[in-house]
Amino acid sequence: MPTTLALELIDYLPITILVMMAATFAIANLVLTMIIGPSRTGRTKESTYESGMNPIGTARKRFNVRFYIIAMTFLLFDVEIVFLYPWAATFTNTSTGSENASIYLARVLFFMATTVIAYIYGYRKGVFKFD
Amino acid sequence: MPRTLLDIFPNPLIAVGIGITAVMTVLSVNTLFCIWFERKVSAWIQLRMGPMEVGFHGTMQTVADMVKLLGKQLVTPKGIDKPLYHLAPIVVFAPVVAAASLMPFSESVAITNTNIGLVLVFMFGGFASIGIFMGGWGSNNKYALLGAMRSVAQNISYEIPLILSSLSVVLLVGAMGREFAVDGGVIQANGMNLAHITGVQAQRGVWFLLLQPLAFIIFFIAVLAETNRAPFDIPEAESELIAGFHTEYSGMRFGLFFFAEFSNMFIGAMVATILFLGGWDGPVLPGPAWFFLKTYFLVFCMMWIRWTYPRLRFDQLMTFAWGILVPLSILNLLITAFLVKVF
Repeated sequence: MPTTLALELIDYLPITILVMMAATFAIANLVLTMIIGPSRTGRTKESTYESGMNPIGTARKRFNVRFYIIAMTFLLFDVEIVFLYPWAATFTNTSTGSENASIYLARVLFFMATTVIAYIYGYRKGVFKFD
Repeated sequence: MPRTLLDIFPNPLIAVGIGITAVMTVLSVNTLFCIWFERKVSAWIQLRMGPMEVGFHGTMQTVADMVKLLGKQLVTPKGIDKPLYHLAPIVVFAPVVAAASLMPFSESVAITNTNIGLVLVFMFGGFASIGIFMGGWGSNNKYALLGAMRSVAQNISYEIPLILSSLSVVLLVGAMGREFAVDGGVIQANGMNLAHITGVQAQRGVWFLLLQPLAFIIFFIAVLAETNRAPFDIPEAESELIAGFHTEYSGMRFGLFFFAEFSNMFIGAMVATILFLGGWDGPVLPGPAWFFLKTYFLVFCMMWIRWTYPRLRFDQLMTFAWGILVPLSILNLLITAFLVKVF
């Protein structure tokens, strides 16, 4: 198992190169169909699909504020999860039943309690009601 | 522990070249197979025959479809947001390949093996919602934008139970892998390492499905929602939203979205196999065979569910995620933490 930072980073080099090669593969595919496929244009062909009618106005309008609330609630929980990851990975390194483990668990319980309180508050405010 | 390609081939270029060839081959074959299989499964469930014309029982049907898709025009609508519209298929497609390369499919060889594999898989999975929203916003189409917004709301909502339920497995791996035998030595297993997760299950002889049934159910439901599969396929509910976020994508651009969708399904099933079904662990047959058997069994379950249950309404979907799955997964995680500490 790699111990130094330099050795750890080389583990991620293949993944980085893989992402770039996958993007290249996708672009190559698109270029290929641009060469093979037809390229006709026209007013109707270029218009967006709106069930066969002529499109009215722009599509990018204001949308329901609920989506913002969902996104914000997600952020709250996501931050919690970011802190839970290292906890879950290292919690069991403390020996079972030791004082350390209890303190470690109590801290996370306190941390999660804050999230749960926020969740209950949001629930009673009707954040998770969709109608 | 599986040896990675970098261990076997010291030259990183050769290692990555072999890796990308293997991953792309597996993903392409999987997509071709899954499309055919999905059509067959739906046909069997509805007492039809499905594709029968091209090849033996229609096996070459998807190959023919792919070739046809390559020859189709890439129609570009007016009023699009050019960078977003053109980048979206690539942003959806590229992370899928990277996520697939992280999977430890056998006890002896893996393409890559990192200590934070589980985090990376969820990170690459998160790219999908970015790409979907880029496509939906860039298309200048009302259906596409509606579909994209629903899709992002659904993906981020189900990501929380997905990760929380997998964290209870991470805890278990840490607790059960205190004396984890690797390459002759004994180490503390790392719950974030996908190979360690499978290895602990194989060495202790128990699959985490038995210890964490609730987490498995939550995880599987969340995977269904993350991959936009029925009964959670509201982002592309064809009866109300035409095709959702990819309404304005034609030809190979649509093909890339489709490729990513089926590959995501495959990856979701693979992660569930690693976390809960013991990965390569199994008697008689070699490791990779078990791994892919379990994976395709889960893929079959996804298709089975899709053709059995009706689509949920949007409010039901969100209430289900926030009102049931999130509290249940938090509770499950806490109970697991307590049990791990006590025993």
